[in-house]
This record gives sequence, C-alpha cells and structure tokens, in this order.
Amino acid sequence: RAWGLEKRNIAEEREQQKDFVPLYQDFENFYTRNLYMRIRDNWNRPICSVPGPQFDLMERITDDYNWTFRFTGRTIKNVINMGSYNYLGFAETDVNALKTVTKELQKYGTGICSTRQEMGTLDKHVELEKLVAKFLGVEDAMVFGMGFATNSMNIPALVGKGCLILSDELNHTSLVLGARLSGATIRIFKHNNMQSLEKLLRDAIIYGQPRSRRAWRKIIILVEGIYSMEGSIVRLPEIVSLKKKYKAYLYLDEAHSIGAVGATGRGVVEYFGMSPDDVDVLMGTFTKSFGAAGGYIAGKKDLVDFLRTHSHSAVYATSMCPPVAEQIIRAMKCLMGLDGTTQGLQRVRQLGKNTRYFRRRLHEMGFIIYGNDDSPVVPLLLYMPGKIGAFARRMLEKNIGVVVVGFPATPITESRARFCVSAAHTREMLDTVLNALDELGDFLQLKYSRYSKSSHPELYEETRFELED
Amino acid sequence: LQEKEELIEEWQPEPLVPPVPKDHPALNYNIVSGPPTHKITVNGKECINFASFNFLGLLDNEKVKSAAQASLKKYGVGTCGPRGFYGTFDVHLELEDRLAKFMRTEEAIIYSYGFATIASAIPAYSKRGDIVFVDEAACFAIQKGLQASRSNIKLFKHNDMADLERLLKEQETEDQKNPRKARVTRRFIVVEGLYMNTGDVCPLPELIKLKYKYKVRIFLEESLSFGVLGEHGRGITEHFGINVSAIFLSS
Repeated sequence: RAWGLEKRNIAEEREQQKDFVPLYQDFENFYTRNLYMRIRDNWNRPICSVPGPQFDLMERITDDYNWTFRFTGRTIKNVINMGSYNYLGFAETDVNALKTVTKELQKYGTGICSTRQEMGTLDKHVELEKLVAKFLGVEDAMVFGMGFATNSMNIPALVGKGCLILSDELNHTSLVLGARLSGATIRIFKHNNMQSLEKLLRDAIIYGQPRSRRAWRKIIILVEGIYSMEGSIVRLPEIVSLKKKYKAYLYLDEAHSIGAVGATGRGVVEYFGMSPDDVDVLMGTFTKSFGAAGGYIAGKKDLVDFLRTHSHSAVYATSMCPPVAEQIIRAMKCLMGLDGTTQGLQRVRQLGKNTRYFRRRLHEMGFIIYGNDDSPVVPLLLYMPGKIGAFARRMLEKNIGVVVVGFPATPITESRARFCVSAAHTREMLDTVLNALDELGDFLQLKYSRYSKSSHPELYEETRFELED
Repeated sequence: LQEKEELIEEWQPEPLVPPVPKDHPALNYNIVSGPPTHKITVNGKECINFASFNFLGLLDNEKVKSAAQASLKKYGVGTCGPRGFYGTFDVHLELEDRLAKFMRTEEAIIYSYGFATIASAIPAYSKRGDIVFVDEAACFAIQKGLQASRSNIKLFKHNDMADLERLLKEQETEDQKNPRKARVTRRFIVVEGLYMNTGDVCPLPELIKLKYKYKVRIFLEESLSFGVLGEHGRGITEHFGINVSAIFLSS
C-alpha cells in the first residue's frame, strides 16, 4: 500500500487539518486494517425482523473488500438465529402477548425525560422493583436503564479507595470499567480457580494494603453467573464458603444466567440450591432472557436504599422507559406463573432440553466445546483465525446465522464460534444446524476432539452393566 | 502460621453499605403516575411540569406513538444482542443515515443509553498519554469518560476563553521542550453546547479560532442543545452559523 499499488482506504484528514497530530497511530491499527477488515462482513449484520429463532437478514455486497458495503435491497429470509441472546424466546411479536405493552405505550408515551431522583420514578418502576425482588427471593431491588451502565455506575458507589476488588480473569468489560472507575485496588484470580482466590484472600488480609500495611476497608469478589465467552458456570458453593470464612462480600453478575439456568429460571443461586441471602449483591440484566433492556441490583433492603441515594446513575442518568418496563413485568409474570398459564415453566424446561441435546450431539460429533453441560452458551473452538471467515460465510450460505469471535474478545489463538441455544428453537431447527455443522466440520477439519468415538454408543445409556466375573 | 490465623480471625471489614437515615430526601420518591408531559401527576396531585427535559414536547405526540406501535408489532421490544452480533436493525441504519444528513456530517452512530454515549466516546479516542482540556462545569458523564480514559486532564474556568488560551500556551511551551513526544500526543477540548449544570452556551466561534491556532480537536456534547438551539434545531453549530465539519465529534 505504501507503494501505491493498492488503494488506501482509511479515513483521511481534511486539507485544513493536515498538520494536526494524527488521530490513529499506525501500529495500533495494524490488526484492524489488515486482519479485521478482511473478515468484517461477518459482524454488524443488519436484520429486518424480530430477532427470534429465525429472522430475515439484509444482504450486503462489498465492492472493495469490505471497506464499504452496499445493500442490494434483497433480504435473505428465515435465517436460523444462533446468535442473539434470546434464551427464553421472549423476543416475539405476537399481538396478544404484547397487548399490555401497547397499552402502556399509548398511555405513557415513549420515554421518560428525567433522572431517577427527580420525577423519574413511575408507578411502573415501583411495581417492577417489587416483582423483581419477589422473583429472586430477596428483600428489595432497584432497576436501571442499561445493563452495562448498571455495573459501571454502581461498583464505584459501593467501593472506593482503600478497598480491594478480586475479580475473575474473564470478567466482562462493564465489571472491569466499574472496578477501574471506583479507584480501589484490583487483583485478578484465575478463572474459576478456588486456590488462586483463597491465596489472594489470605495474602490480602495478612499483609494489608500495598504500601501502608493498614487493613483493607472492604474486600469484594466480582464473579459472573455464566461467562459469555466460555459458557462456564461459576462455582458458587465454594466461593460462598470462602467468603464466609474470610468475611468478604460477593457481587454476582447474572447477565446471562438469570432466566436461563435453574429449575424455575431463577439463576445460578437456584441452580446450586443455595439461598439468595448468601450473595450480598445480585445483579442482572433484562436484555438477555427477558427480551427488553435494562439492569437491576437486588439484595438486602439497606443495600438497595443506599444505592437509591448514592448511586451515580440514580442521580445523573435517565430511568427505564415505560414500555420496556411493562415488557419485563409481563415476561416475569409469565415466568413465575402469575398470569395463570404454565408457559413460563415450559419455556425453561424447553431451554434445558434443547441445551442438553445440542451439547450432547456436538460432543458426539467430535467438536471441542467449552463450558458447563447446562449452560445455554456453547462456544465451539475453531483455533485458527483463518477459519473464522470461512466458517461464518459457509454457514450463512446454508441459511444459518452464527456469531464468531476473534482477537479482541478472546486470545488470538483461541477463536471460537458461539452458539446461543434458545427455548424457541424447535428440534428440527437444531437438527438442521447440527447437520450443517457436521458437513462443515469435515470440510474445514474442525473436529479436533481426541475422544475416540465408541462404536457402541448405546452402551453410554446403560446404567447397569453386566460385568463378567 | 498461628499468627496468620489469628490475623484472619481478628479482621473485621466495614459494613458493605453505611446505614442511611430513614428520612433522606431521595429515599421517598415522588411517584409519578401517568405520562410526564407538560402536566404531571405527582403523588396524586396534578402539577405543571417544569422538571423533565421534554423540550420539544414530543413525549406525548400521536405520530411518535403510532410509529412506535408499528415498530413494536414488527420488531418486538428488545434487540437481544449487541450491535456486532445481529443486533443491528435496518431502522438503526436508517436513523444513522438520517441523523448524518440532518446534521450535515459524513456519518453518525447511535447508542442505546444517553449517559453511556459520551462516556464511551471519549475513551475511544483519548488514551493514556493524551491531553484533554475540559471546562470545569462539564457534566458527570464527561467526567466519568475522562476518568476511564486515563488521559491528562486540564480544567479551565467555565466559559473563560482567556483561561483556555493561557493553558494552551503553557502546553505549547512544553511541547517545544520535547518535540518528539509532542508529535505523538493528541490534544482535545471537550465542551458542551448547553451546559447541564449552569445553563450557559459555550462560545463556539472563539473556540474554532483557538483550534486552528493551537491544533486541538473539539468534542462537542450536544445532549441538551440538539433540537433546541439553531433555526432548524441542528444545535449550536447552526446557532452560531459555523460549518459543522470544523467540529471533530458531536454527540
């Protein structure tokens, strides 16, 4: 490109500003310009229908190798959606189901133009908070307008300088941002590794703060329910016993696991059969399983009252808008069974069945999959960055939309394709996807697993063997 | 080892949250029932609303509501995914095109939460070694964005161009001492169109002159002035009659 053979396509400065300091350093953008641009057509794909189990994708063609896109105007219909976080299938446009939401929209308008503390609390918010508290089995809850902002605004309110934050290696950006903004000292322990966590806790209590050797004011442990890139579930019983022994506080971010894990969909706390009083701060988002937007923080009444007065987002950021709040109320009532049907419970069971079937078949076919057997997030490893583009494009040709992740989110040698199983997927859809994966796996040589496939799979189902003595 | 065990036993953390007095004013919310338009029902009483940011009165507009109903029928409520993974709808792209045409800029991006817009845009451009000149009365979102970006922050007095010029001159003398570093550090000015904390308008023409003289880029935050200032509502650039391409980023 420096020799003028290829065209330079990056954004250039205008004439008047030519001698300003350049905005993008050449080296920082190396990855973006050379690697990311070549496979960029797999991300930011626009869709034009509801993000349910199937959607319509708008077709884009690029003339100059992904630097610009042009829409042809055609849409690809009925692409099976394995990418959206639609775990319980609440992203739907059935008019009957959305009756209450349309009524609220008519009554309340589209937004709220003020912050929480001044004129921003509607009676809908109060109802929603009571419902969330009842759903989780805690004393009180508070809702916010955006899930990401919930984390980044409330962690600084709870911890400050002189406190210690122990966070997992693979925590989400919102947790990391909140921890950095709070000004506390951050130490990282290895993913789901209890010995590393215990060692850090002991060292922290014994040696105190780094320079003054005074005791820490508070120690808080940040973990997530299901990690979005791994699919692994946190080891909650062990963390709770550690926390009780060393008197630390636990902050659990259930962004993916609320509604998706647990016998009645109440998250990891129910999955392990523990009581929600053990976790000090329960946080979650409504974007993923409930099909709306926003986040909540729940816990004891003192905690929530403190947040109501001192949280940054309560004072400066606008509150949730009413139709969205109504959608969450409807979804939660459906899940708890308060609207008179068992639809909620059926959805949770369906999700569990789909998850187990999908994972079992993938494992039998010989792919390498990360994560706990019960999590609806299924990352499939495609170790080479070169295969990312090929995989995603081939799947699109077969009318299946997948999500592939590469360098910035995962280490560069561990790129993966991530499937999100949903309760709205039927058995036929899953079978289509699995057959396509089978063919692609042979074509691209993705079946890395070294488990030898037994020629008698029926033996796995046997619970009692006839042993020869 | 015995000592360590004892230390662990004795350590008492602070309570997670300090206790809040029961009659703190923010605890007892004024509960609003009904849409917050020009008249608002607070705690059962009907009042005239001088508290919400509903400048153009579009909150209760029938056209807006019927368009929202139509999109509700077509798309449902949530997007179930970030922009990168099938969260982009054709309406998002249409809105971005329209915004860019309306504001007469090349391109536009939309975010889902107003607070997060400026708080994410600043750290995207300004990294650890860069210098940012900020007004003292900048709103909270800007302050959080600056904190997250870890750049050197220099405050100047509210709407005081002489103070800003003094700071810029100091920066220039420092640059001449260390020209290699100066070539690499980027310089930004962050101002708001209509300040949320004090309600003044920033003097944009003088800022543009300073920009070309000292070579800094301008971030203009128009959360309150969009739709309010200017003849057609394009914001502060139209209000002063300046070409919007002189602004680096407007949000």
